[in-house]
Amino acid sequence: MEQRLANTWHMTINEKKFIESALSKNIRVDGRSPVDYRQLTIKFGREDGSSEVQLGETHVIGLVSGQIVQPYRDRPNEGTLAIFTEFSPMADPAFEPGRPGEFAIELGRLIDRGLRESRAVDMESLCIVAGKSVWAIRVDLHILDNGGNLIDTANIAALAALLTYRKPECTLGGENGQDVVVHDPEVREPLPLIIHHMPVAVTFAFFNEGDAMVIDPTHKEEAIMGGRMTATLNSNGDVCAVQKAGGDGVSLSVITHCLRLAALKAVDITSKIKNAVDSYNTARALRKVKRHNALVAPDITVPDSVMKGNQIGQLAEHQAQKFKEESTKTFDTETVVGIPKETVLFNKKNINFIRKDSDSFIGGPSNWDPYSQSIPPTFVRSSQIFPGSSTVDHKKEARTMLIESNSEETKSNNASSGLSRTSSMSQQRTTPKSLKDAVKPKSERKNRPSPASAAN
Amino acid sequence: MEVETSSSSTASLVDKAVVPGDIVLDLTSMSDQTIRLGAGLRQYSDVLSVVKAGKLKFKKPNKYWVESSQKRYAPSVEDTVLGIVVDARADNFLVDIKGPTLAFLPVLAFEGGTRRNIPKFEIGTLLYVRVVKANSCMNPELSCTDASGKAAEFGSLKEGYMFDTSTGLARMLLSSPTCPILEALGRKLSYEIAVGLNGRVWVNASSPSTVILVSNAIMRSEFLSDVQQKILVEKLMQRVQG
Repeated sequence: MEQRLANTWHMTINEKKFIESALSKNIRVDGRSPVDYRQLTIKFGREDGSSEVQLGETHVIGLVSGQIVQPYRDRPNEGTLAIFTEFSPMADPAFEPGRPGEFAIELGRLIDRGLRESRAVDMESLCIVAGKSVWAIRVDLHILDNGGNLIDTANIAALAALLTYRKPECTLGGENGQDVVVHDPEVREPLPLIIHHMPVAVTFAFFNEGDAMVIDPTHKEEAIMGGRMTATLNSNGDVCAVQKAGGDGVSLSVITHCLRLAALKAVDITSKIKNAVDSYNTARALRKVKRHNALVAPDITVPDSVMKGNQIGQLAEHQAQKFKEESTKTFDTETVVGIPKETVLFNKKNINFIRKDSDSFIGGPSNWDPYSQSIPPTFVRSSQIFPGSSTVDHKKEARTMLIESNSEETKSNNASSGLSRTSSMSQQRTTPKSLKDAVKPKSERKNRPSPASAAN
Repeated sequence: MEVETSSSSTASLVDKAVVPGDIVLDLTSMSDQTIRLGAGLRQYSDVLSVVKAGKLKFKKPNKYWVESSQKRYAPSVEDTVLGIVVDARADNFLVDIKGPTLAFLPVLAFEGGTRRNIPKFEIGTLLYVRVVKANSCMNPELSCTDASGKAAEFGSLKEGYMFDTSTGLARMLLSSPTCPILEALGRKLSYEIAVGLNGRVWVNASSPSTVILVSNAIMRSEFLSDVQQKILVEKLMQRVQG
């Protein structure tokens, strides 16, 4: 008994009286105004669906996971959402391991109500096979440090984790078309949950029998407060949940005032969560793009002596024609045809050639794209004969050739589609290609001067 | 395992951060000398080594000790601490001093204390007390008198506000000459302050805003240098008066 007394946190009469007297003058002990939140920090872990939120000294971690289960009988085409809280004893000496206390259950219920009854998380999109398989989403909230106002912090952690969680994509397969096939995240990009709006919890603490009210109470303020109320609203001003469990009574005017304040705070917190989630998503997308690092568009500067004369230009026409015949079906038009028809400027940035620098490309067959089947292997081998310095020239020549051939063969639709696709190219290229591969080898070029010169 | 002896450069370790295992003195080179060891140092046969991480301190002629800062307090004799009354028993009050166990304050340990005039302390009263006995195996014992039996400012503290700090900050606030933050605050504001070596600080002033200003300034000044502390106070004053 004595040991338990030694381990609990004690508050002095001096503190209690001081905090109350300061609040009667609208001053808070940490210097905040009664309606200010503490500093909010939202961080994310490496996995999708893990968030770490700090509100002043309060620290909560949120983790979201999904499992495929059978749905409830009365809702055969809806998924399920469950909130679990864990009050670690390291957060507060009052937390004991084992069965959750009354407040732990209240916190879990409050967050659950805010998300479920306001239909923030779309349940029907979690259905895979009606009546058989649905996604069961589970949110685990771990309280790491209790600095006061666990409800708001845990709510933000749950929202941040739900917004960044991605569930694996599943399709129906198997013999009868009823088996669920869950695709590996590496194979198919996992999908985010559909969240319609963000219910944000704002907690108020009442003192001095309802005379004084503060938002976001600290641990000491919570110890001496007379009553507490939590209002869960979204940024549209819709009230998702209101909770006032016992404590001092407050008048209706105070409650409406609190709801109005909560609406303002909800907008503010929603924007903070959105910013954090957006920066996480861009960082995540960048991580995915880095894997295909050959996609960086180089700054191509035009060397002065590119054109070597008519001969090569005419020859190239034939090259380009033959090239196009061979690669109509399997050819990815983005790579070669993505050249603006109207200009011969090569240092335009939207020419997305897939080589960082010409010297690094050897021209080996391993760099080839599916359309390589249509090009004879002699192409590739002879391209290796060329000295490195001349590779750039060939590339430029090939480009001019193709432009001329473009205008002749009225492939304008290809060019425009190529243009539109160049903008999105950086996101999906798999293998590096270059125009050098489109150029016929020297040996074959020598056979063709006469018909080209005859045409001109 | 190679041990790098710093016996030739003892002076260089003083006032520096040391970690457990560092060797402060090699005693083989000294003889017929008395060296006094304080906290955090231990003698292993011929060698004086550090057992607690912190800053090594030296006082002439022969005192060495390690100063470290924690949130928890290890009771030691003759320390003045701030305690909170947790329970009142027949013979003594149970007082929490942020140590591993509760401390006992005998009901008679007051100036002129007899069975007839036992003070009535409620649960939650803040006391300024002195540690009389402190062993690791027993509950520490406290007293509200100094060594000669006089009251000497010990006893309950009325009003004001109390906050927790680390033991290092408490020691810094009690150092002499006066810590720069307290001096700078005292030039502009009037307040009274009681510092417990167990990491508790009590502040009182005429207006609550002054108390809040002083307490927040002290909490932020732990890792600031002297100059930075003065600048902190100047900025706070400007913000309040400007």
